[in-house]
Amino acid sequence: MKVPVVTRWGSWRIHQSKAFRRFREDAKDVLAKLALWRKTIHKIGGHFGGGVQSYFLFLRFLVILNLLSFLLMASFVIIPSIVFNTVSFSGSSSIDSLPSVNMTGKEECLRYDPNPEALTVFYTYFLDLLSGTGFMEYSYMFYGFYNNTLVISSGFSYNIPLAYLLTAAFYFLFCLACIIVRSVRCSHRLQLKHTVLVPSGYSMLIFTGWDYGLQGERATQLKQNNLLYQLQVDLEEERIKQKAASLTLTQTVGLYSFRIFLHLVVLAMIVGAFFGIAAATQFSQVSIVGLLLEYLPSIVMTTSNFVVPFMCDQVARFEKYSPSVTIILALLRAVILRLVSLAVLLYSLWKQITCDGDVNTGKCTPCSYNSEQYQCWETRVGQEMYKLTLFDFLITIAMLVLVEFPRRFVVDNCSCKLVQWVGRQEFLVPSNILALVYGQTVVWAGALFCPLLPIINTIKFIIIFYCKKGTLFQNCRPALRTFRSTSSNFFFFLVLLIGLMLASVVLIYSVAIIHPSYDCGPFRFSETMWLVVPNTFHSLSNTTQEFLFYAGSQAFSIPLFIFSWSEGRDKQFLVKQIKEIAALSKEEQEPQQPPRSQAQWNGAPHWGGQHNPAFDPDTGMMTQPRAFFPDEFENPGLHYREE
Amino acid sequence: MKNKHLQKISFIILKMFPNFKQQYFLSRLFHRYRDLAPQLVPLDYTNQPDVRLPYELIGSMPELKDNPFRQRIAEVFSEDGEGNMTLDDFLDMFSVLSEMAPRDLKAYYAFKIYDFNNDNFICKSDLEKTLNKLTRNELTEDEVRMVCEKVIDEADLDNDGRLSLEDFQHMIVRAPDFLREVCNFHHRFTSTMRGKMRKKIQEITL
Repeated sequence: MKVPVVTRWGSWRIHQSKAFRRFREDAKDVLAKLALWRKTIHKIGGHFGGGVQSYFLFLRFLVILNLLSFLLMASFVIIPSIVFNTVSFSGSSSIDSLPSVNMTGKEECLRYDPNPEALTVFYTYFLDLLSGTGFMEYSYMFYGFYNNTLVISSGFSYNIPLAYLLTAAFYFLFCLACIIVRSVRCSHRLQLKHTVLVPSGYSMLIFTGWDYGLQGERATQLKQNNLLYQLQVDLEEERIKQKAASLTLTQTVGLYSFRIFLHLVVLAMIVGAFFGIAAATQFSQVSIVGLLLEYLPSIVMTTSNFVVPFMCDQVARFEKYSPSVTIILALLRAVILRLVSLAVLLYSLWKQITCDGDVNTGKCTPCSYNSEQYQCWETRVGQEMYKLTLFDFLITIAMLVLVEFPRRFVVDNCSCKLVQWVGRQEFLVPSNILALVYGQTVVWAGALFCPLLPIINTIKFIIIFYCKKGTLFQNCRPALRTFRSTSSNFFFFLVLLIGLMLASVVLIYSVAIIHPSYDCGPFRFSETMWLVVPNTFHSLSNTTQEFLFYAGSQAFSIPLFIFSWSEGRDKQFLVKQIKEIAALSKEEQEPQQPPRSQAQWNGAPHWGGQHNPAFDPDTGMMTQPRAFFPDEFENPGLHYREE
Repeated sequence: MKNKHLQKISFIILKMFPNFKQQYFLSRLFHRYRDLAPQLVPLDYTNQPDVRLPYELIGSMPELKDNPFRQRIAEVFSEDGEGNMTLDDFLDMFSVLSEMAPRDLKAYYAFKIYDFNNDNFICKSDLEKTLNKLTRNELTEDEVRMVCEKVIDEADLDNDGRLSLEDFQHMIVRAPDFLREVCNFHHRFTSTMRGKMRKKIQEITL
């Protein structure tokens, strides 16, 4: 048997790389231990399975994202504003560095008066809290309160409008980066599990389905339920396929035309919901009397989000698709409903603000926006988003308190057949996750106009975490059907990305096209919000300008390079996996030394920091490696698993 | 046969742990074996006493207690084929079902576990029993029959209506999870062991 010889340099390098790898693993362990709510989520996974756990992991991700965004906003916009408002700097000027717009003839645009003159009754504070008006309107909460202060004092200058705009832009880029990183990680696992080389099917399920490391009766039962459900779903699909194959031509045609009809019905329902939302928004903007009218868009949206998916489920029963197709269709319909209805609401707001896009007609003539209705349109948009968020939160809590807990009491204490058939609540993962995506999209759309919205959302999500956890353990039964969490996780991050795109459309449009309000906000004296950037840029010295141009051009190529490098690494990783598996299958025919990366002797290098490259050939055991698998036992020592 | 067996398993152990650590691992497993029935198992094993622990004690261990295949596991690793294990058998079982054992070894033993009638082939009745153990007998007979037919369709390469070891290995080789998730008494046992091992090794070497 050969004894491999390792040089001093080689062994030092090996030692270093192992030490580094161990350090990385330890660091990962420590970070995992510090993760927020780690034990709770682990417990949820053990009791209810991977699907429900993925919802809570998603929620945790959103909480952290919102918290970090709030810190970003606070440190660059809110805190400087507070500081500059309370402390007056010597030599500071709050004159804008923006070119002043010709103000003659624009007196109608300057009528913003957020403080009502009438005596306020005590309950108006409560109403103001719910609708974002009154004392809340002219506060750090909304865009209208921030001034276009430019502070220059003793070598330190801070431009609030520029900070506001750039912070909003960075906020969006930061969220985009986080989502992409998470979804790439999800897609890795997805790609591994679904490579073409891995045969799906019953044999894999049966022979590799059982996890021998499971301990405890509950975990075993969960796993057995998993397997049972997967088998049943597969058998169902098989049966449907056989049945579809056995239909005659007329029957097939009839089935397809019936399906098309049902698709049209669903489409009609969804479009009807959109029209309802548009009408409600229009109506509520025109006459803002009473809390009910103010909340009308939210009410209509929430109602449609409940009713339409329910109706679609009933329709889906007649469509007779296979179970997986049914689930995918239901998800798609729900996603379209939620995101597009939000888009419809924003569109109808936009129509009202800019008089259907034509800023030179009717009410929009003097100020390029509808100043009759909106003296400060950014604050109004922020208020709408705030109301949507608040209403969503209140409805979630109300559903828990008024529906789920009583349902459990009724099911536990009443033993009539109907009640038992309805049964306890089941935790539906897709609709809950879509609700989170919807809430987050609303926050993104409103963040420019309501800088405190991320922190409100953080608090909202934290409360929802504890409420959902409570209802899960108290009211829900473990799912009979488990949820395939790997592929769905990636899908939910994709939907989140679509929500972010929607919100960025809102951002870009507001920043670049619509004229800011004349009487409020940090951009009050410029044509568009975006103009702050070029103006500030031109006021810098020439060298700085040239440097920024240069950096800007590099700034395109470097992220591209990094992105393509990491993509390339992913491809390399996949190619390596494929090569390994191909090599293994070749090895079946002629037993030979397995490739280095496949050898499983990862035991030795993991501990002790020193590995044993040269085994002691004096122990008699080494001389007879023939026992069962000669291929594994040749060339020991230097093999360790490369990752 | 027994000697070769012992050599192979000890080889695995030695590969996992260079010589001076072997004793710690072995002694830890030995004490777990002994704790099942302290009055039956002597502390001194130098004379290789013939002690077998009955299946009931083995099956009550936490790693096996809830596993639907515990009886088959015990039968496969025991010398007498009835589930009564000597210390060698016990060490075999833990070595093969640990994270360090090679994939082929695990595949071999997995095949033996699923082969209920010990005829070196997984036939339809073996599959039916496996399926029933996996799903707690909750599938209907029709469904069981359909699934077994599908499995044999998918995996049987030599078309004799049953799975041989080669068919099984050919299928297993394409499963990336097989080593990590299946056939592992993982985490709690071996990783805590690894942590304690590391501390012990540091004590020994420093």
